[in-house]
Amino acid sequence: MRWSARFWLWAAAAVVVVNGFFPMVWILLTSFKPESELTRIPITWWPENFTLQNYVQALTGAPIGRYFLNSLIVAAGATALCVFVSALAAYALARLRIPHKTLIFSLLVGVSMFPTVTLLLPLFEMVLALGLRNTYIALILPHAALSIPVATLVLVSFFQGIPKDLEAAAMVDGCTRIGALWRVVVPLSAPGVFTASILAFVNSWDEFLLALTLMPSQAMRTLPVGIQFLQGEYTFPWPLISAALVIALVPVALVIAVFQERVVGGLTQGGVKG
Amino acid sequence: MTQQEPRYRRSFGDLSERALAFWLLLPATLLLGLVALYPVARLFHNSLFRRRLTDETGTNPVFVGLGNFAQALSDERFWTALWNTFLIVLVTVPGALVVGLLLALLANLPFQVRWPVRLGLLLPWALPLVFAGLIFRWFFDSQYGVVNDVLVRLGGERLLWVTTPELLFWAVCLTIIWKTSSFVALILLAGLQVIPKELYEAAAVDGASRWQSFWRITLPLLTPALLVAAIFRTITAFQTFDIPFAMQNGGSSFETLAMYVRTTSIENLNFGYGSALAVLMFLVSLGVTLLYLRHIRGADD
Repeated sequence: MRWSARFWLWAAAAVVVVNGFFPMVWILLTSFKPESELTRIPITWWPENFTLQNYVQALTGAPIGRYFLNSLIVAAGATALCVFVSALAAYALARLRIPHKTLIFSLLVGVSMFPTVTLLLPLFEMVLALGLRNTYIALILPHAALSIPVATLVLVSFFQGIPKDLEAAAMVDGCTRIGALWRVVVPLSAPGVFTASILAFVNSWDEFLLALTLMPSQAMRTLPVGIQFLQGEYTFPWPLISAALVIALVPVALVIAVFQERVVGGLTQGGVKG
Repeated sequence: MTQQEPRYRRSFGDLSERALAFWLLLPATLLLGLVALYPVARLFHNSLFRRRLTDETGTNPVFVGLGNFAQALSDERFWTALWNTFLIVLVTVPGALVVGLLLALLANLPFQVRWPVRLGLLLPWALPLVFAGLIFRWFFDSQYGVVNDVLVRLGGERLLWVTTPELLFWAVCLTIIWKTSSFVALILLAGLQVIPKELYEAAAVDGASRWQSFWRITLPLLTPALLVAAIFRTITAFQTFDIPFAMQNGGSSFETLAMYVRTTSIENLNFGYGSALAVLMFLVSLGVTLLYLRHIRGADD
């Protein structure tokens, strides 16, 4: 390759990488600067007085650990529930003869486009009536439901990729349909289930509006809600916020980095074909 | 597979195909019914009543027909919020499409190592909207923000991004464009990767420039993916809430429709009027969604 072509290739990669990484890298650098350095003009780019004090403060002075736990419980619960019911539905949609299948798919896509804020008030009313405000279940159920469309679409196209003959062979060998499902389809569909799980997990982990309204008490806040409320009325404790953001971002960023091909595949399947 | 299940099946493998389908679809249907369909029905019902939890109508709602909608027509704050939302759609949808297309074209180049570029597109997608709002609020900080630092280094002046209404609008738009363009890029990248390479080779043989191949091959063949991305983006831009909420720390000097709906129904506990506003939002979204469904149906045929 000519050097100029090589140079432009590097430049192109640099644009995409810097665009994607810069905000996270900046917040990481911010989290290592002491408050005195953060409130200095001109600002520093690289930390001059490297410190881990912000992390100590985030983990001891604010209930970041608690928020993390709340987010984890809600996202794990919502993911498990969502992927379970979506897998059942997706298998039926991919394999069985169902009347009005196109309509069902249209309804799924339609539901995925409901503005969350229009569901907010009725859900708030229901949660108040049932006395479930500030309980995990109040957030797990809607989070699970909101990811059903994308999880189902991903799983349908995954199930369609598993040859029908394998199941037929198992059934000829004496398996029931459920048996064939359990022994053949389930093991083969692990990657699809995994992709759907990551998407559902990230959706729940990121969700703000419902979490803000259905689990608002200090002890029940999820990470997005909790960190948003670290902002004071007139003060912006950036050392604390930046350290909290890093703690909240790193685990998800790692999962995304490790499984990026699957995530991209799932996203474009659920998106383009949806 | 039109035959009934053969005889030798035992236990609940004996379910007919119809019955099996019913039971498999039931849990997802119940959950969606409980969390999406019933709430929408309830919303339409609520929108016809005057009901505020803060006064006696909280327990005894008064039927007002379309009264709440009439109230919206003369509610200046509603029109401002609608206008702001319209501006957000107008700026951030084309913005994200252009930036997304650019990122997709760059990411589609023949790199030997693909993961840094792919991760560069995935990270902004995985970042919670609120966090994007907070990080960019810090970028746009008038004193200690990196944006003003760069402006000053380039010989410009410090701008009061967050406290000047017009600048706040642009700061919000830039944040939304940054956050959403990478998802657009991922969709467009998938579209780019299915364009046959032979087309470009044939065009090159015929003496077409890169620029010509882009306009004559890439763009026409990418149109379906662009349309999908545009509709998705329009629907999410119309619901904009998290980023302006976080950047204003819950304040409302710049208010979108979703923010006004939440303030009316949850903060002010005005269930009737809040529902009417939400119904209006729902109907607009439904319109765009039907357009989208007609489009993908058309693509299937």
